[in-house]
Amino acid sequence: MPERSRQRRYVPLFQRVAGINALLLIAALVVTLLVLAPRKFSSFAADEAAVLIAALALLVLANLVLLRRVVRPLEALIALARRVDLSRPGERMPGAAPTSEAGELALTFNEMLARLEAERREATGRVLAGQEAERLRIAQELHDQVGQELTAVLLGLARIQGRLQTPLREELIEVQEAVRTSLEDVRRIALELRPEALDDLGLVSALAVLGERFAQRSGVAVSQQIDEELPALDAESELVVYRVAQEALTNVARHSGANRAELALRAEPPGVVLTVSDGGHGLAAGSEPGTGIRGMRERAALIGAGLELDSGPDGGCQVRLSVAVDGEASAW
Amino acid sequence: MPGPVRQRSAPGPSDSPTLTPIRCLLVDDHPAIRVGLCQLLADEDDFEVLDAVPSAEAAVAFAQGAEVDVAIVDYQLSGRSGLWASRKLKRLPRPPAVLIYSAFSDYFLAAACVVAEADGLVNKSALGAELCERIREVSRGVTRLPLVPPSLADSMRRRLDSEEQAIFGMLLAGIEPDDIATTLGHSRGGLESRLWTMLRKLERLDMVR
Repeated sequence: MPERSRQRRYVPLFQRVAGINALLLIAALVVTLLVLAPRKFSSFAADEAAVLIAALALLVLANLVLLRRVVRPLEALIALARRVDLSRPGERMPGAAPTSEAGELALTFNEMLARLEAERREATGRVLAGQEAERLRIAQELHDQVGQELTAVLLGLARIQGRLQTPLREELIEVQEAVRTSLEDVRRIALELRPEALDDLGLVSALAVLGERFAQRSGVAVSQQIDEELPALDAESELVVYRVAQEALTNVARHSGANRAELALRAEPPGVVLTVSDGGHGLAAGSEPGTGIRGMRERAALIGAGLELDSGPDGGCQVRLSVAVDGEASAW
Repeated sequence: MPGPVRQRSAPGPSDSPTLTPIRCLLVDDHPAIRVGLCQLLADEDDFEVLDAVPSAEAAVAFAQGAEVDVAIVDYQLSGRSGLWASRKLKRLPRPPAVLIYSAFSDYFLAAACVVAEADGLVNKSALGAELCERIREVSRGVTRLPLVPPSLADSMRRRLDSEEQAIFGMLLAGIEPDDIATTLGHSRGGLESRLWTMLRKLERLDMVR
């Protein structure tokens, strides 16, 4: 945060008021003495001077303590305003009550935080929903248009094949195989674009289905460790967990060279932790993150989750997504 | 789809396919595929295409008034699914063999096919020769569906209540619905409604639009 290094160009309120008060106290003492006992100024006894100075010191100290109590909430508010991070919602100013100006300020500040967090949550939801709707639309277009037309082409080719003589027939079979591969690619892409069974089944079952399907398609064996008891996540977080798991598994198949992967979803206070690890050759030193990893990071950032990428327990790569579930978030 | 298959042979409606052609009904909501399938099957001597219809409802209506040997049914139809059509067709007095022709054919759909009592499942990316061969196969009464791997069957069972799990297990083992009803002490109608519920639950695992 750049504000933190900002130079302070004023004398803090506390020092200013404390200084002025101390001067006023000294002035008041001097005036009192001048009025009540003007002759005393020339002949101060040492003990009298000591009592006077001690009394003065006591007054200044009491003033400092009282003033400190008034100013401290303001400083705490400044500190909170500096460090508050909307992607980690739920932080509030303590002692917010309409009993003083500082309390009122804290109260208003808390209300503003709640409003900002709500707006952010809504915006995040809209971004994710828009993204998902677009994916669904593309998946349906792919399936209903491209996929069906390729199937029709395949049927047409099969029909022609029956009437041809070798070697043309051999060539046609190659073309057929190419169309078939494209058709399978289209189907696969359409499948990957949809959130599949998430809405119907909930996160745990949807992850199980994802793992099974992935293993079936890619030939990478997936072992799953999903805790039975997990704290409830909101819909956006579930979608992010699902998408990160999907992307991480895709990366395993594409880049790791591994033939096995582990998908784990565990309850770990203050939330849940998703890990996808593989037994592949790990991260290349100094490699640039690809679009897959960037996409995972962006999604994680939308819900304020942490995403780490490092070496797994057995040398391969590990993706770790930690989603915090705080009391307020789960109550919404 | 790789892996083992469930096979069951029974005397089919046409034991001598060389003499009488296999009467086929095509069900697909995409016109280009209906045309493609019609032409492909018309080129083969042993097939006769009775009609090509775009919906599950139209298929059931047609089959009620005609003698169909094999219905080739797209799984993803607009409106009711191909599996709904399969169960309805199988309730006709003279049920045709049902071959589900689907863009996605994985174990999830295979399991749902078992509950829908379909006889076979062919991927839309299969070559024409394979499709023809499977039509001939189911017309002879051969039921051939991919066996659901145990790990997957477990995750699907979690969607079902305990009695549905028992029914699912028996169907996977190839036990006839009549025998299942007797075993569980259900009326045939009671089992029917359970099967519809199960089909809905299992179908949701699949890529329904």
